[in-house]
Amino acid sequence: MKKCYLGIDVGSVSTNIAVMDHEKNILDTLYIRTQGKPVQAIKNGLQEMKNRVGNNVEIMGVGTTGSGRQLAGIMVGADAVKNEITAHGVAALNYVPDVRTIIEIGGQDSKIILLRDGIIYDFAMNTVCAAGTGSFLDRQAERLGIPIEEFGTMALQSKAPVRIAGRCAVFAESDMIHKQQLGHNQEDIINGLCEAMARNYLNNLGKGKEITAPVIFQGGVAANIGIRKAFERLLGCEICVPQYANVMGAVGACLLAKEEVARKGKTDFLGFEIAQSEYQVKSFECEHCPNLCEVVQFHRDSSLVARWGDKCGRWNNLKDYRDEKLA
Amino acid sequence: MDIKIGIPRGLLYYYYFPLWNKFFETLGAEVVVSQPTNKKIIENGVKNTVDEACLPVKVYHGHVMDLKDRVDFLFVPKLMSIYKNEYICPKFCGLPEMVSSSVKDLPPLIDTVINFRKSRKKLFKAVYEIGSHVTKNVSEIEHAYSEGITNYHNYRALMKQGILPIDMNKDHFQKRKVISVNQQKVVLLGHPYNLYDPLLSMNIVEKLRAKDVMVITPEMMDTATINRYANQMDKKMFWSFGRKIMGTAFYAMEDPTISGMIYLSSFGCGLDSVIADIAERRVRRSSKKPFTVLTLDEHTGEAGIDTRIEAFVDMIRWREKNENNFSSHG
Repeated sequence: MKKCYLGIDVGSVSTNIAVMDHEKNILDTLYIRTQGKPVQAIKNGLQEMKNRVGNNVEIMGVGTTGSGRQLAGIMVGADAVKNEITAHGVAALNYVPDVRTIIEIGGQDSKIILLRDGIIYDFAMNTVCAAGTGSFLDRQAERLGIPIEEFGTMALQSKAPVRIAGRCAVFAESDMIHKQQLGHNQEDIINGLCEAMARNYLNNLGKGKEITAPVIFQGGVAANIGIRKAFERLLGCEICVPQYANVMGAVGACLLAKEEVARKGKTDFLGFEIAQSEYQVKSFECEHCPNLCEVVQFHRDSSLVARWGDKCGRWNNLKDYRDEKLA
Repeated sequence: MDIKIGIPRGLLYYYYFPLWNKFFETLGAEVVVSQPTNKKIIENGVKNTVDEACLPVKVYHGHVMDLKDRVDFLFVPKLMSIYKNEYICPKFCGLPEMVSSSVKDLPPLIDTVINFRKSRKKLFKAVYEIGSHVTKNVSEIEHAYSEGITNYHNYRALMKQGILPIDMNKDHFQKRKVISVNQQKVVLLGHPYNLYDPLLSMNIVEKLRAKDVMVITPEMMDTATINRYANQMDKKMFWSFGRKIMGTAFYAMEDPTISGMIYLSSFGCGLDSVIADIAERRVRRSSKKPFTVLTLDEHTGEAGIDTRIEAFVDMIRWREKNENNFSSHG
């Protein structure tokens, strides 16, 4: 039995799981689509992971991150529940200790993290606008009938530049349609889109920030070679895409869990068996004040394990499962 | 029966309520305040305000709607300028007009113009106009105003000690709770109506404090300090709140005990689009301190704000300790 740590990153588009051993080697990773059902995605992921490595490993600690981190933390009994920025920073530092810039583009979020001397120095996240994130690329790939996996390599075949407005996803789409009607090649349009995304990212998140090498590109979109090349052209430096780029959040969660367990000496992990548990979410509207908070009650095998969603703490303090609440 | 005067709990309520509350009460009127901002108030405000308005102005409209059927007068002064050669946000200059054309069935508004851009000579004229809705007796109004001003100074003195409106007894602005001593100091920049409305700000002050961070706002700063630092600008900042924010930001850049700055801006704020940008550029140019802008809008999802606050606090801790021993929760 190998002593291992489990990291779970529940994002808007994908749920990623990583298993890391004591020497910080990654044993296995899993990338599955959340498809709007985080509870099911986590269960499926754990089941799959159990089938793959469950018999050979002993889980010493578990960490969760991503926008669904609190939910995942409650489900699996996490030792560390951390935001994506810290998790991505910790993971990148593990692979490239002198990293100075992290470009992270996920499903709904994009982030820039600047590091100096091995610590996070500055960061920015995209605002409410989802232009230039993975879900927008997904949609465009679907519309053009190209599998997202081939999107990047197609961009590389482009011979002539086509400029697409990348400021807004809606305008970018109409711009693309317009360029198609004009008869431009599909490769050129795809390349134009990759450049527009990279430009938009640098204008929005990179604004006023000093982007210096080494630059690491991670998150689901890092798999897209077209976008990576576009960044390299715009920044004028080489961009490193680490081996586990698409699951770096989960890797970071493993590292944070390892640290936390070393500190407190035990894990709260509930075991892979929870994949067999029945989870139920029941919500109601609290009518105690005009805020009408939507309170969510989370049940495992018909026993209530957590409540969240209220602003005043009336409900989530009722059952002290863990001293944390979901936003 | 006493005259009922309604004061909406929005915009400069967080600045001047103690003054006018005491003023009207001393004159013998009954002051009615709208409920603390809640979902319904935001919803009503958003539905009944012109599209271009910013979130706090929309919320203000919601407070007006909450009050309008239970008062004799609504106190919606037309605040144009409170300091010489300075202005308040342009939206305040048209606030009574905006309210009266957007909200139907209003009681009469007390919409006195307050404009001290040139001088304060007309201060008492404005005070008399406001008070005359309750009484015509000049000496009574004078007395009530001096009572109000005393109350206002007490309130501002409490704020300067770090006791924010959320720490005070809701309706009377008396000190309510004792604030614990926190480790890191973070300056929270922004307009008072964004910072101190717990629902609008998604409770950012309490969220930071829960992470053991001491929050410093422009209202906690000494006026002379603010002015001294604000004078470092190449050109005078002609918005009063802009001056306070910039002065605080410059101060925070220099004070070594301050770990970072968070600018809380609301979507659609024209002033913030300028001030936040100047502040960010200046901070980046001449200091190494972390600076982040958080934008508030009608979103009810707090996850985005929470992630950013958490990452920001992690970052300042990590930068200060320069080692990996940050907490794993929260």
